[in-house]
Amino acid sequence: MDETRHLLKEEEDQQWRAPMERVRRRILAHVPRERERVSAWKRQVSLPLPVAALAAALLLTFGVTLAVLATRTNMGYIRVTKAPAGGTEYQFAVPYDKVEALLKSMGGADANIESVMTIPKSVKLIPVGEPRMGKANDFLRKKQ
Amino acid sequence: MSTPMRSGIVPLLLVLAVAHSPAQAPGTDTDPKEALQELLSKALTVTVSARVLPPDTQEETPVWNAESTKLTLPGRSIKVRLDGENVRIYLICTPYLQDDGDVLLLAQGQVWFTESQDKENRYFSTFYSIPVSFGEKVLFFPLGLSDADAQQKNHFNIEVEIKIVPYEKKQ
Repeated sequence: MDETRHLLKEEEDQQWRAPMERVRRRILAHVPRERERVSAWKRQVSLPLPVAALAAALLLTFGVTLAVLATRTNMGYIRVTKAPAGGTEYQFAVPYDKVEALLKSMGGADANIESVMTIPKSVKLIPVGEPRMGKANDFLRKKQ
Repeated sequence: MSTPMRSGIVPLLLVLAVAHSPAQAPGTDTDPKEALQELLSKALTVTVSARVLPPDTQEETPVWNAESTKLTLPGRSIKVRLDGENVRIYLICTPYLQDDGDVLLLAQGQVWFTESQDKENRYFSTFYSIPVSFGEKVLFFPLGLSDADAQQKNHFNIEVEIKIVPYEKKQ
């Protein structure tokens, strides 16, 4: 009985112990080491110089734009540009219908582009010649 | 050796050029409130009065009249339509401010006329460019100016008067 037990014990050692030991060492060899914690303030990022310059320029542009928008709350509605030649150019930072709205706020219903006048049906009109247009004074002179 | 550095500077210069370009636009920007005031000072009031005159030239009282006052800006056209039983008249007026302070009135007249007997349509179109002073009256005779012959036939005459004055803000 003892002999049998001894044989079994030796056989177990021969068959299992050595591979188990190898596996254990392999596992231990691959256990990740605990990383050192580095503060975010100490971490460094490397960037190519052109990319860094581009990012800085974009940030500067956005910053300036934001500052201008913050200081001029009512900008952009209308801008009048006096051209060097003396002409005046109106630039509207709004769609054309907003300009119509502006005119309506100034002139009420009269600011609509089109108006309709209805001639009474009792009035029968017949062309007596070609359409004519001119200064009123010219027509008065001709009548005289 | 300097090629990579140069290729990196070019995009940067392009970005800076784009960012700087609005400031290089010709002219001077005005404060929006001042711009609005200037816009109001350029606004114009166009009054269109239409009247049908009796055949008798001695009679000054019109058979019918109507008036429409429009607010506009120089270069912005206004449109008036006159609808009658057998006639439709379009008047499109576009005022422009001139350097001397006067107004150049560009006016287009369109007349659609239907003959009552044979239902034939007639169309007239005219275009005028008239320099006028503020308040000066311009007359438009869409169906022609009646002469003595027409007056004898007792034909009504229609007359449209256009007057342009600077806009004054209502207090």
